[in-house]
Amino acid sequence: MEKTGAQRSRVLELLEHYGGLKPGVAEQISRETGVPAADVYGVATFYTLVSRPDAGVRVCQGLTCKMKGSDDLVAELEAREVKHEQVSCLGQCDRAPAAIDEKLFPLSITPPGDLTPDNTELPMNLAGKDSSEYAALAKFHEVGAEAVLDAIDSSGLQGRGGAGFPAAFKWRAVRNQPSGPRYVVVNADESEPGTFKDRMVMERRPHLMLEGMAIAAKVAGADVAYIYVRGEYQEAKRSMERALEEAGEALSSWLDVRIVEGHGAYICGEETALLEALEGRRGMPRLKPPYPTEQGLFGKPTLMNNVETLACVPSIVLRGGEWFKAQGRTEAGSKLFSISGHVARPGVYELPLGVTLDELVEAAGGYIGTPIAFSPGGASAGFLPMSFRETPLDFKSLQAAGSMMGSSGLVVLNDTIPMTKAALWGLIFFEDESCGQCTPCRVGCKVQRHALERFIGGDKDALSHAGDVAWEMEEGSICGLGQVASWPLTTAMKHFPKDFGG
Amino acid sequence: MNAKTQNNVLVTVDGTKVDAAPGELLIHVAARAGADVPTLCHDPRLDPMGSCRMCLVEISGQRRLQPACAWRVTDGMEVTTESGRIERHRQTLLSMYMADHAIDEETKLPKQRGVGNELLDLVLKHGTGPELHHIGTPREGREDNNPYIHFDPEACIACARCVRYCDEVEAVSAITLAGRGAKTTIATADQIGLLDSTCEMCGGCIDTCPTGAMTEKPSLNAPEPEKIVRSTCNFCGVGCQLDLHVKDDEVVRITSPEPGTTLNDGNLCIKGRFSYEFIHHEDRLTTPMIRRDGVLEPASWDEAIEYAAKGLMGVRDRHGADALGFVSSSRCTGEENYLVQKLSRAAFGTNNCHQCAAT
Repeated sequence: MEKTGAQRSRVLELLEHYGGLKPGVAEQISRETGVPAADVYGVATFYTLVSRPDAGVRVCQGLTCKMKGSDDLVAELEAREVKHEQVSCLGQCDRAPAAIDEKLFPLSITPPGDLTPDNTELPMNLAGKDSSEYAALAKFHEVGAEAVLDAIDSSGLQGRGGAGFPAAFKWRAVRNQPSGPRYVVVNADESEPGTFKDRMVMERRPHLMLEGMAIAAKVAGADVAYIYVRGEYQEAKRSMERALEEAGEALSSWLDVRIVEGHGAYICGEETALLEALEGRRGMPRLKPPYPTEQGLFGKPTLMNNVETLACVPSIVLRGGEWFKAQGRTEAGSKLFSISGHVARPGVYELPLGVTLDELVEAAGGYIGTPIAFSPGGASAGFLPMSFRETPLDFKSLQAAGSMMGSSGLVVLNDTIPMTKAALWGLIFFEDESCGQCTPCRVGCKVQRHALERFIGGDKDALSHAGDVAWEMEEGSICGLGQVASWPLTTAMKHFPKDFGG
Repeated sequence: MNAKTQNNVLVTVDGTKVDAAPGELLIHVAARAGADVPTLCHDPRLDPMGSCRMCLVEISGQRRLQPACAWRVTDGMEVTTESGRIERHRQTLLSMYMADHAIDEETKLPKQRGVGNELLDLVLKHGTGPELHHIGTPREGREDNNPYIHFDPEACIACARCVRYCDEVEAVSAITLAGRGAKTTIATADQIGLLDSTCEMCGGCIDTCPTGAMTEKPSLNAPEPEKIVRSTCNFCGVGCQLDLHVKDDEVVRITSPEPGTTLNDGNLCIKGRFSYEFIHHEDRLTTPMIRRDGVLEPASWDEAIEYAAKGLMGVRDRHGADALGFVSSSRCTGEENYLVQKLSRAAFGTNNCHQCAAT
């Protein structure tokens, strides 16, 4: 039990300060914060960036990087006797195969990916000029919170983090909480394999996101906002710090903005796990209800939004909800699609919700080779065969197709990639990133991975229980990670039965 | 009015209507309705964690199965604890537990350990689903030369009952969940031995552990007891109840009675749980002894008491009553302490009496 007044939320920053989990560090931090040493140790061992401070070069083993030769990179590092470790997706799928050095600087020699060309008619327009004028915030002061809420409502904006939950609903829920402290938390912990759009927003248009965040804080009635940005996104973090400086009093006069680094845990993209991390605990998702809108950070009402969701807000406020809605085709608004893998120009493309894969890939310069499958929304979305190339890329249509929009990190696979391998890479990711709290996920991820490895090794019956295990993971897991962690396998088995002995 | 005693919501569990306090945990309400909901991570002394997923049930209006141990009831709620879906869930989940647990080679079932393995009980009761390959995750344990608490990571189901007990009940926080995913284990800070940690060796972790992953080191190879004898701990005046596990007239293990049944509420301290070697120790005094000419000799109680009384009275006669002082042990009860001060004041006439736990 921590001492009264213990400074638990400092635990992770202190772990970074002392260079990660080395002998004696847990005791030292315990003395400084009043949090028990064992507890500090438990927290530290949860986060890869602090639990393995001497990992050396971190090589991405995300789907795209695996396809683009990360194994060769590992072999090369081994040959040169460079200390290294394979890690989960680094969010640089446009520069695959990606790696970062000990100071978390990108090492990739592949040039950064493409963007949709500058077009001021786009709601986010990542290639456009970022502006610190904060015109939308000024308009908020003119029209007031209710008018802004109505605009968000009529825009049909759905959360861009993966769940697609109506943004206006969340905003209202927090605004309508009884008076008292409340927080805004920006989920910038983008870690879904194949996804790098939020990084691009933060690097290219930090003001756009900060302005959206400021408006969210005004509507929610918060005067403190946290930005939880994954630790591997050092450039994005610096970009936001610079933007905050430029914004100056426009924000700092009324909003305390705190940028908090993540420490290497995909699960912290799950909103309640993120809150646990911010509070200095192991990033294990909370049981819901209660939802963060009622009891979030430090038990207070908390409005949590994804980076892209907030980046949509200024244009909605300035040009109206109906205008934003009309930017979509089958659902409201434009969407940032990260696309990588076997396409000519990987990058982040802003297109209407509901475009097809073919249209998106056309924007990305066309397919490379003969495409056989694509992952529509990161590892969590599993795989779809090319027969779905005309399916509108939106929340509803992809769900109906047995997949999901997720974070819209698309990866295209051509016929050089065996689907069994692609599925295995997905399973390895979830096994590495399972928080270990609930048994269906903690055990299930490993059961599935072992079964697939045995199948690849020649045991034809190895996958006979994969469906049952996937069913239980979906029924029994606490959070979304465990619920979909079998999908890379089950969707590949469903759509590519021949590859799985069917 | 106290909300906890205010029965004003009605909940239906498997068709049976039960009164409940608003916000009461479903697991308790379901038990009153006669439903037998299996659990592993649940301990009524601890805040709910909902992580073992054994207690998932169907709740009206909820698409997903929800944990009864953590769900708070509301008026009109309808709950189903037995259905095809729930049965499939329980059996498949138990299969997954088996795939991650030390299995007895002969029985092909979870190994029996300590005073019992709740996982084994559930497997026997509910059966399992698909037979899965064992995942054989090596989990980190630690070298630990403490004399009392043994931890077997391969029998751990990472339910964190031990960690939560250590934190929430004892406020000691010597152990933690460490690592993540399939490698999640129980650790101390920097994996030091428990003796070097804040651990007080109360053994509450053993008491709450559902699978025997935490066991009493001295009882690792203890035989099955013939009988269990309820007794009162005499190490202090609290009066904790003990269950002595007895085989061939020897105590082979001591446990606490179920939480909620005795005043110690399932808790014991290091002495009550582990200090019983003296019972059968060869050096144990079994009769009073009197030292004569420097040599201790066995004596009867009458002889011994008379000898002591004579000595004390001799001091009083030669030097006055205030040359005497009486100190009673902290192991004495209140009544015994009363008698000691009475002996001191009334029989010998001195106020020099003290109780060793008084300062």
